[in-house]
Amino acid sequence: MTKSYASSLKLTDFRLWEKLKKKRFLYSFDIELTARCPFNCRHCYINLPPGDKKAIKKELSAEEITHIAREAVERGALWCLLTGGEPLLRTDFPEIYMNLKKMGLLVSVFTNAALITDRHIQLFKKYPPRDIEVTVYGATKKTFEKITRKPGSFEAFQRGLNLLLENNIKVRLKAMALRSNYQELPQIAEFCRKATKDYFRFDPFLHLRFDRDCDKNRDIKEERLSPEKIARMEVSDPERFDSLKKECGRLVSEDFEKTAHHYLFSCGAGISSFTLGYDGNFRLCSSLYHPDLMYDLRKGTFEEAWERFVPSVRSLTSDKKEFLENCRTCPIINLCLWCPAHSYLEQGVPDEPVEYFCRTAHERYSRLKSLDKP
Amino acid sequence: MKKEDIYAPSEEIVARDIEGELIIVPLTSGVGDMEDELFTLNDTGKAIWKKLDGKKSVDEIISELSEDYQAESGEIENDVTGLLEELLKRKILSKK
Repeated sequence: MTKSYASSLKLTDFRLWEKLKKKRFLYSFDIELTARCPFNCRHCYINLPPGDKKAIKKELSAEEITHIAREAVERGALWCLLTGGEPLLRTDFPEIYMNLKKMGLLVSVFTNAALITDRHIQLFKKYPPRDIEVTVYGATKKTFEKITRKPGSFEAFQRGLNLLLENNIKVRLKAMALRSNYQELPQIAEFCRKATKDYFRFDPFLHLRFDRDCDKNRDIKEERLSPEKIARMEVSDPERFDSLKKECGRLVSEDFEKTAHHYLFSCGAGISSFTLGYDGNFRLCSSLYHPDLMYDLRKGTFEEAWERFVPSVRSLTSDKKEFLENCRTCPIINLCLWCPAHSYLEQGVPDEPVEYFCRTAHERYSRLKSLDKP
Repeated sequence: MKKEDIYAPSEEIVARDIEGELIIVPLTSGVGDMEDELFTLNDTGKAIWKKLDGKKSVDEIISELSEDYQAESGEIENDVTGLLEELLKRKILSKK
């Protein structure tokens, strides 16, 4: 019999995960390399102009990013997502990417593909990313550019995506489901299925801007689909429909209202991951922009952020009646986009219900319930 | 494979120790050919891996392990050559 000493395993099969299940352990982190983007998408929460001097000045240097990432790796982190804004706007992207890869991180990249160059292709071919996720805003130039508000962006996106695909770089596609492209979603689905074999997903959940810009937030709200449309779209997507059906028992918990506590956070924010903002702010998750709930790594240490700041945020409580009587005890909270982070972006406080989210969750629930009926 | 050969972890991988588990992450294309593929070693493999410093020959590694584990050098030799061949095939090791 041949004895095997080395095994190649899929990530999910490592016995390490079983070992770490019971403890707080850092698995992954996101890095927002920049808040700038060449597109000006109507629905986007982080897209300052490419030449925004204030934003450029605040951006972490490649050295600072590498230093923080090394601290995360020393705590065991294995996955890293590079996002933005548009991460490829940074001319030092290859340097940052390679520094992360050399630490033994599995690196994913979110991009609009418009800035992909031959240099990026050579880099990704030799040092493959775990995946590159490209967002598809429309299947036609008219719809695409109605959303991006950038003439020429459709051609740039097509050119970049084709370069990635022709060079066999692993691409996943995602489509934002918006009012501006709703009529075109079937064509977008067809475009995505033709381009890659991977499952692509629609994301209809838009959250408000990190900078709380009122005019731009109005654009985002205008792009949101109605709760009815979101629920209908989910049910009509066979892959999403199946996964919702499977997860239904976990998503809807009648017992939830019996768990007596008034902690703000019931989600997993900061337990096994964190987000590094472009300006050096450590956040428990990508959406948590409340100024009191971020930690400035330029003024403190990663150890302080991870070991003490996160537990202190997660132990925050609220006695607000609207929170305690609604979101905190809601049995369908897991079907809802509500969380303290989104509550802050919508209402300016981390503990208030958000009517649109609430209606959407109930609509999703009633669709799910109707699925249970024989 | 000759006993005087010297091997070291390839520059095309990064070896990580996470909570006592050795995880080998491919850095370049062509090391893993499966989606999300990483590599790990069993306990015997880990003991041998620790000796692969790019300085010791295969023979020296076998002698050291025979002393460390007070085992028959024939048995250790089979373990060492078995692992090295497997790792070379997967481009995880390189010859110095």
